[in-house]
Amino acid sequence: MTRVIESDVCIIGAGITSAMVAERLAERTGASITIVEAGGRTASLAERTHTRARMLAYGENPYPNDHIPDQTGTGEMYRQMVVGGSAMHWGGAIPRYSPEDFRLQSLYGLGFDWPITFDDLEPYYQEAEERIGAAGEQGPPDCDPRSRPYPMPPLPLSYNLARMREWTDRAEVPFWTQPWARNTEPYRGRNVCQRCDTCAVCPTGAKYTPDFALDQLLTAGRIDLIPRTLVRRLALEPGTDRIAVAEAVNRDAPDEPVEFRAGTFVIAGGHAWSSHLLLLSANSRFPDGLANRTGNVGRYMTGHWFVSGYIDLPMRLYPGIFVNNSLLSHRFASPGPLDRYVRHDIRLWESDVGRAPRLRNGDGSLLWGDEIMADWRERTESGATARIRAYYDVLPDRDSRLTLDGTNTNVLGDPMPRIDYRPDPTTLDLEDHTHTTILGRFEHLARTAGGSIMSTRSSRLYEHPGGGCRMGDDPATSVVDRWGRTHDHENLFVVGAPTIVSSGCANGTLTFCALSLMSAEEIGKGFDRT
Amino acid sequence: MPETRRSFLKQSVATVAAVSATGCAPDGESSRRTGDLSADDPGAGPAPLPAPTLRAVAEAVLPEELGAEGRERAVTAFERWSDGLEPVAELSHPYLVPETRYSGPDPRPGWAAQLQGLEKECRARHGTNLADLDVAGRRQLLARGVGQAGPGLGSAANANHIAVALMAHFFASPVATDMCYRRTIAKQQCRGLEGAPAEPEVLAARTNGAPSEGRRGALTIATGAAP
Repeated sequence: MTRVIESDVCIIGAGITSAMVAERLAERTGASITIVEAGGRTASLAERTHTRARMLAYGENPYPNDHIPDQTGTGEMYRQMVVGGSAMHWGGAIPRYSPEDFRLQSLYGLGFDWPITFDDLEPYYQEAEERIGAAGEQGPPDCDPRSRPYPMPPLPLSYNLARMREWTDRAEVPFWTQPWARNTEPYRGRNVCQRCDTCAVCPTGAKYTPDFALDQLLTAGRIDLIPRTLVRRLALEPGTDRIAVAEAVNRDAPDEPVEFRAGTFVIAGGHAWSSHLLLLSANSRFPDGLANRTGNVGRYMTGHWFVSGYIDLPMRLYPGIFVNNSLLSHRFASPGPLDRYVRHDIRLWESDVGRAPRLRNGDGSLLWGDEIMADWRERTESGATARIRAYYDVLPDRDSRLTLDGTNTNVLGDPMPRIDYRPDPTTLDLEDHTHTTILGRFEHLARTAGGSIMSTRSSRLYEHPGGGCRMGDDPATSVVDRWGRTHDHENLFVVGAPTIVSSGCANGTLTFCALSLMSAEEIGKGFDRT
Repeated sequence: MPETRRSFLKQSVATVAAVSATGCAPDGESSRRTGDLSADDPGAGPAPLPAPTLRAVAEAVLPEELGAEGRERAVTAFERWSDGLEPVAELSHPYLVPETRYSGPDPRPGWAAQLQGLEKECRARHGTNLADLDVAGRRQLLARGVGQAGPGLGSAANANHIAVALMAHFFASPVATDMCYRRTIAKQQCRGLEGAPAEPEVLAARTNGAPSEGRRGALTIATGAAP
């Protein structure tokens, strides 16, 4: 027998963007809200001290049961499928995109403009920072604009980072503290950061994870959260383009179908599973998938690439004081007019690379106890290492795609997603120039310190990914409007990462949250205010 | 990885490791002598590491400046860590990798066999127990087993030789870092934010080998020991 669950709003996915939408709707409307999550619960805060200790000792996953074995795609995507989503594991870096990210075509004649500007999104950035609990300091306003201060002061610069900032000041490159989703004051019932330096699993609750917000909403009776229930497809109201039902299966009782009926549906499945669900939901009216009348679902998948390196510094530092804080500069993400396009951020960390204990010395001789210690000391006393990384934007190509992979199915026989990223040709044309420019800036920093580059590498991993349901004013080239509403279905929204047009030069989570809050404002218009 | 494959790795590869990771398989005589092994009882789980031999190895491979007390702390921490090791455990997910990764098969039977083999070889070559051989002699014996390991220490759980495992475990600890820098860094211990801007304090004399204290202390979680 089919179990039917009805609500005003049905949110599919229980990650960070889901938490944002649910929290805002719960606070500002009287709508009934159901959240469906394919994954289950993972380690509670109380359990994280133990799982953290095992992660440190053995490298074990600190979030048991945070994925579904057969729900596995191909390509670069997150493994997690769990209440809280991939933001259970995140480090909590929450920089904003730069104003330029939203106007690449207008400013530089390449890529795409978003249908919104930085200024349109700025109030939602602030709201996201307040909901998450952001600790940060503003950089120079011309490259780090904001209308109000961060809700909390920044994480303190460690002794190491303070010495490094003296160095970057001499190089006349402005750096400031990376903003973090970690408390520097008691905030919304959560603790202050204790500098445990294992932010992937925070044993104190100082790092924001979405389960905190979801649990508060559950306790207040403002949401129903249905975990371990996989939504397999969305179905239309007969004869209309409105979504009527999300058809799901209870993973603990696979023979018992579950139907979620709602006035509004919100897909909050992250960059891979949102497009995937739309494609899986193809029907006679939308043979290529829901919201896909113009064939844009799963396209323009995007992320950013990076160049990184290690710099040998002639200074005495102490790696381990605070590895999970870093310096950030957006100076080169807001470069002003350019002869040739290149935009990137730069971030710096303390590091022990090249200065870790080792079993064999430079000539390959085997070392024992005191010899290892002496060799280690010699290398730590002769200088220090800084880790440096620059994210640069990759312009997405229309054929950078997520598709259904019929050769890889789950236990229900549903095809899993496959992502084949592809950069716009312009990105490839600019790649050498981009690398040369970034490496030149690394060299400048190293020289100013009297140091040298130890090593560099470049990566084409599409970090902080998004796309697949990009936003736009023109349905011919986009899937959703600026509010995340699908062009084809007036009661279906897609929120967060899938809707981005390009991925900027910074971590994306805060932008995904801000976009979700903007969507929530539009969704909330259909309900009475509380 | 299917559960069946995981179970298979846990059960069978460990047995292979016990034999192949050393030239000397465990023998009943030595296990009875040390009184520490359960090699005759295949149902009893991994054999404990023979404590006297492990300590004889530690004396040869851990820094002398630890002193006897500090060295004993390091060995005890290693034993607790070894006791808590779960073979073929699910590892942290690498960033943007959709597959699940697992740790390797159980290294402990191999390490136990190596320790037994060291005692046997020591008696054969020198007519004495390893603990009674001088440190230079012990290192000579150990060097053959360590083989081509390195240049990095790697993770203890992946070490092919017990001597490397012991060193890797110790040198990854907060104690070792503090000893190296001669400062109280207390890495990866919950230390509060207040102390972050200060240059770490000079390590007090004769605290080598003692766990670092977080500046606030209340949330200190010692690493290196099994939780």
